[in-house]
Amino acid sequence: MKEFWEKALLAPLETLSRNVLAVLPNVLAMSIILLVGLVAAWSIGHVVERLLRVIGLDLLSNRLGVSAALARGGVKTDPSHLVGRTAYWLVVAFAIMAGLGALNLQPLNQFAQSFLAYLPRLFTAALILVVGYLLSNFVSQAVLIAAVNAGIPPARIVAACSRWGVQLVAVAMALEQLGIAQNIVTEGFGIVLGGVVLAGAIAFGLGAKDLAKEFLERRLGNKPRDRAPDDLRHL
Amino acid sequence: MESYGRKRTGTPMTVAATPLTPETERKVGEIGATDVLVGIPSYNNVDTIGHVVRAVSAGLAKYFARSRAVLVNSDGGSSDGTAEAVARAVVDLGTLLISEQQSPLHKIITPYHGIPGKGSAFRTIFEIARRLKARACAVVDSDLRSITPEWIELLIRPVLEEGYDYVAPYYLRHKYDGTITNNIVYPLTRALYGQRIRQPIGGDFGFSGRLAEHYLEKHVWESDVARFGIDIWMTTEAIASGARVCQSFLGAKIHNPKDPAADLSAMLVQVMGAVFALMEEQQFVWVEVKGSNPVKLFGFQYDVGVEPVNVNVDRMISSFRQGLADLEPIWRQMLAPDTVEGLLRLKDCPLQAFRIPDELWARLIYDVAVSYHQRVMPREHLLKAFTPLYLGRTATFVLETQGLTSHEAEGRIEFLCQAFEDRKPYLVERWKAPLS
Repeated sequence: MKEFWEKALLAPLETLSRNVLAVLPNVLAMSIILLVGLVAAWSIGHVVERLLRVIGLDLLSNRLGVSAALARGGVKTDPSHLVGRTAYWLVVAFAIMAGLGALNLQPLNQFAQSFLAYLPRLFTAALILVVGYLLSNFVSQAVLIAAVNAGIPPARIVAACSRWGVQLVAVAMALEQLGIAQNIVTEGFGIVLGGVVLAGAIAFGLGAKDLAKEFLERRLGNKPRDRAPDDLRHL
Repeated sequence: MESYGRKRTGTPMTVAATPLTPETERKVGEIGATDVLVGIPSYNNVDTIGHVVRAVSAGLAKYFARSRAVLVNSDGGSSDGTAEAVARAVVDLGTLLISEQQSPLHKIITPYHGIPGKGSAFRTIFEIARRLKARACAVVDSDLRSITPEWIELLIRPVLEEGYDYVAPYYLRHKYDGTITNNIVYPLTRALYGQRIRQPIGGDFGFSGRLAEHYLEKHVWESDVARFGIDIWMTTEAIASGARVCQSFLGAKIHNPKDPAADLSAMLVQVMGAVFALMEEQQFVWVEVKGSNPVKLFGFQYDVGVEPVNVNVDRMISSFRQGLADLEPIWRQMLAPDTVEGLLRLKDCPLQAFRIPDELWARLIYDVAVSYHQRVMPREHLLKAFTPLYLGRTATFVLETQGLTSHEAEGRIEFLCQAFEDRKPYLVERWKAPLS
């Protein structure tokens, strides 16, 4: 009976307590890392937000149309707060990874390593999207103004096409960076772009060949415009 | 060199001497000194420059016979034989009834260094004027067809004999000539700097040797001034530095035809960009100025009848309305809400009733200046988005002055200038307001 008591009940309990005692420092370390990480995340997020407010990120975002785009996307907070929150959650994510690493469990370690290895790609993809978005705004505004000044009636459609074109390139580049369906994205994008260019060329060739002829003659042959210009001299 | 009574503005001096070619250095050394210098910037102007050189030579011989005189052609690398045309051009003084002997006219034909543009060409002319210690100078365009010897007298004599530092041109122009000058540059510079210089971007100017030296001392020769903004810069800098300014009536200005339909928005970017950039540089001068003063006008004034000209008002208004339809969000970024509301009222009005009133136009120009200053969007976009607005205003001007003589149309411009002056406090208040 005594033997049964020792083997069946006490031994597992002893093993369990030994295991718990072995893991306890790791759990304690994880708790400390998480706690420090949370404090650091709060501080860094707060400092980043204040710093960006001081250097006028919100004003710059207003001018670049980023704030308006965020509002259109349902994001009501200002960009400084948004970047501050992003910094906060990045630090929290690092703290969680570091905390889990402190547990020294093989599957968790592998996951943390994979996540950390993927982070630069994630960051690059995000950067590509942001730059692509800003560039698309700039290009579409320039195209819209040029089209209106040239008297092209569907100016807004032309500008919208240029905006979506640039954004499409940015999304394709970001997806390629993330390694998501690389071949499909690259080939799909190539097919779409080729189709658009071909369609445009056919449409232009059929519908505007006289316009193209006049344009080229004017450019290459210094031929004056056919339409009677105003006798106004602006300068 | 110190300025002319008013506090110095802009970047201080200590500028390296402008480089000249060894040949030009040698020629300048030979000549030593001069009383009068006339500069002609050029680039592929073989068709017209011969006439300009002859007119200048005759003007110097006829009106400054006892003065030492130098003609400088500052060329931007012409490949059509412009320099040879300058060297060849001689004038038969006998047929012009000019018998008095004069000291020989020296010609310096030189390429200029630096950024390609009229400003760099002028810089070389200023440098030669400085080295030759010229007392009075003039610059005239090389594509002029209407220049006469009298232009040289009118541009130089106020400097030599009346003590003026800067002589702006005053041309006889058709009421629809110079619509950017009439509707923007003249009213704006007059309201800003308080001097009624009618053609601030005329292109042909007279100036004293010391003003040429003052120009040389400015750090502008690597900027847009060197490319295309030199005319308005010279006028503004002369006023801002406190120089004595006057005008001379030169009659009609006819120059080589340029395609009037050439990119208008690029033209506006250049002209308005130069004016607004100068507003930033000279803000401590113009914010204090109230009202405006007449500027002495030399020369015999006359008027001619108005011949009909082709102006397509419908196209201008439809361009404005397309802007209203497509560019409204951009206009809302660059204009005050009240200004946009004023423009929106023109959306559906009948053609003959279409008007952008003087008060609204003055406020609009001030809004654009403030937006340029505050960089609310890329500056090139801002200035190009202004094109339909300008066409709307030009249509207004044409509709308002139909049937008027050029003299009567000048009265309309006077009303516009008054509107700019009356609303200047609005500009000053918005200009000084912190960014929001």
